[in-house]
Amino acid sequence: MSEVLIKTDNLRKTYKSFGDEVEALRGVSLEIYKGESVAVMGQSGSGKSTLLSIIGGLNPPSTGKIEIDGIDLYALSQEKRADFRREYLGFVFQQFQLIPYLTAMENVMLPLTTTSHSGRQKREMAEHVLARVGLAGKMNRLPNQMSGGEQERVAIARAIVNEPPLVLADEPTGSLDTRTGEEIMALFHELNSEGLTILMVTHNPENTTSMGRTIIMKDGQLCTDKAEILQLATRKAR
Amino acid sequence: MSIFQIAFNNLKRRKIKMAFLVVGLVVGVATVVALFSIVQAMRLELGDRLDEFGANVVITPRSEGMELSYGGTQVSEVSFNVQLLTEEDLPKIREIPDGDSVNIISPKIVGAVMADDQNALLVGVDTKREFTMKPWFSLREQAGLAPGQKVRDLALLDIPEDSLLLGSSAARAFGVAPGDTMTVNGREFRVFGVLNELGTEEDGLMYGNLLVVQGLLGRPGEFSMIEVSAYCNFCPVEEIVAQLTDVLPNGRVTALRQAALVREETIDRFSSFGIALSGVVLLIAALVVLTTMLSSVNERTREIGIFRAIGFRQMHVMQIILLEAVMVSVLGGIIGFVVGNVVARAAGPFLAQMSVGVPWNTEMILPSVILAAALSVAASIYPALKAARLDPVEALRFI
Repeated sequence: MSEVLIKTDNLRKTYKSFGDEVEALRGVSLEIYKGESVAVMGQSGSGKSTLLSIIGGLNPPSTGKIEIDGIDLYALSQEKRADFRREYLGFVFQQFQLIPYLTAMENVMLPLTTTSHSGRQKREMAEHVLARVGLAGKMNRLPNQMSGGEQERVAIARAIVNEPPLVLADEPTGSLDTRTGEEIMALFHELNSEGLTILMVTHNPENTTSMGRTIIMKDGQLCTDKAEILQLATRKAR
Repeated sequence: MSIFQIAFNNLKRRKIKMAFLVVGLVVGVATVVALFSIVQAMRLELGDRLDEFGANVVITPRSEGMELSYGGTQVSEVSFNVQLLTEEDLPKIREIPDGDSVNIISPKIVGAVMADDQNALLVGVDTKREFTMKPWFSLREQAGLAPGQKVRDLALLDIPEDSLLLGSSAARAFGVAPGDTMTVNGREFRVFGVLNELGTEEDGLMYGNLLVVQGLLGRPGEFSMIEVSAYCNFCPVEEIVAQLTDVLPNGRVTALRQAALVREETIDRFSSFGIALSGVVLLIAALVVLTTMLSSVNERTREIGIFRAIGFRQMHVMQIILLEAVMVSVLGGIIGFVVGNVVARAAGPFLAQMSVGVPWNTEMILPSVILAAALSVAASIYPALKAARLDPVEALRFI
């Protein structure tokens, strides 16, 4: 059995919306192991993005605890948590979220900006990952000079440039056509097979076929309804 | 990739907004530089042209007892225990530590005489020195001029030993005109010219050659007073007075600062006005920077959220915003320095009624940049803090 990378214990998150208290998470406990690829599915408002932001160290839970690689994430100060994100996590956001005035190379180098690597090392690391995602010839292009699939690859390269053990992806194929989406999922699969742990939030059942495990969320909780899981398994098989 | 590159690339992208920011800083810095340059030029001009305001130091013989006065200074003739001012005292004046600041030394002798059977005050002067020091004296009429010929500048004239200049009131009282003769203490003099009316007691005086008047009064080599025009930008006149008192124990040295004071007061008022105006303009410039930077931060909310998510500390986000402010301010400071100097040179002579131009104030370039940077950074602290404290989840609309 491999080691546990992410362990959440009874995570709860409530927030106020127009004066009403909304429970986004209602006691989520899960374990994700090193080298796993896990898809989190669920309808809008099911709490999957909230779970991702809490695991990403961006959104403290109301109660409960989360450990990544044995580190109690929210016991760290805000600034230490920023350092933790830089060292341990790679983010792939919805709609790429590249910085528009930076080239592909510069966007990929962003997570290295505050590290102690020399300028040359940063450049070499960025070149390496851009080549890895198939963009060796497009390093100096601005985001608006690239296709959606290429921008997604830049976003993935940015997420893995500092060699984190965990990549969190939020709807990475949401704004791509089917074929490009499949290519991106194949890339994620390759990265996972090289040992990277991936936790991906997705609406698209097709994306779960290349993931090792799928978690279903409903109303802020992990779904334990066997019929629902069976329904998903059937869709996967098709 | 570095924080500097991120800030620099963002500035390149937002050219119009940054140009607006630079203009705000340029206006602020240019105002300060222009006003400062004009005030500085006014102070320099005061030093360079003080001789136009007349003497600012008067040396009279030290004496005791009752004294008569003329022109606010003592005439020692009727005093007792009078110590004399003589030719030997003149070189000592130039030998004081601040002797380089002494522009003109004008010794004179004043005495009561009998002129055409009337009592009068006769002043013996070195005419070139006296009228260079007091340029407001001018001739109304001059003897020997052909019709239509203009009178000459007093400071350039050599007045013959047997001639006198008369104040307008004196000429009227004696009923004489240029070319007439007068008898003073039994000696005959020709009236060389009549001075323009000044509206002061000097209108009632007669002026003659210093050596001749000394002889006429029976006081050869002796002076009633020595007027000195002295000024420097770095030593106050009081310092010069103290030094003169040391070298001339036989004299009483008095500072006459009225003329300089009037000018200094004008400069001080202009300076105070300049400081107030600069303050208002700088405040407006700071508000321009504040609103522009705040708007820039608001536009970049998502971008800042990305920075925070991928591991930028709050301090790094602040650094980006403040670096942008510093980069813009360096440009604003340099342009503001140039514009301020151009404005000072163009508008200075009209604003400050100076007869000389305002020189290029090159030593202001570093203060200009520092001022712009300080202003820009101070006004950007709040936007930078706001950016740093942005909730990354809100910024990325994760929930």
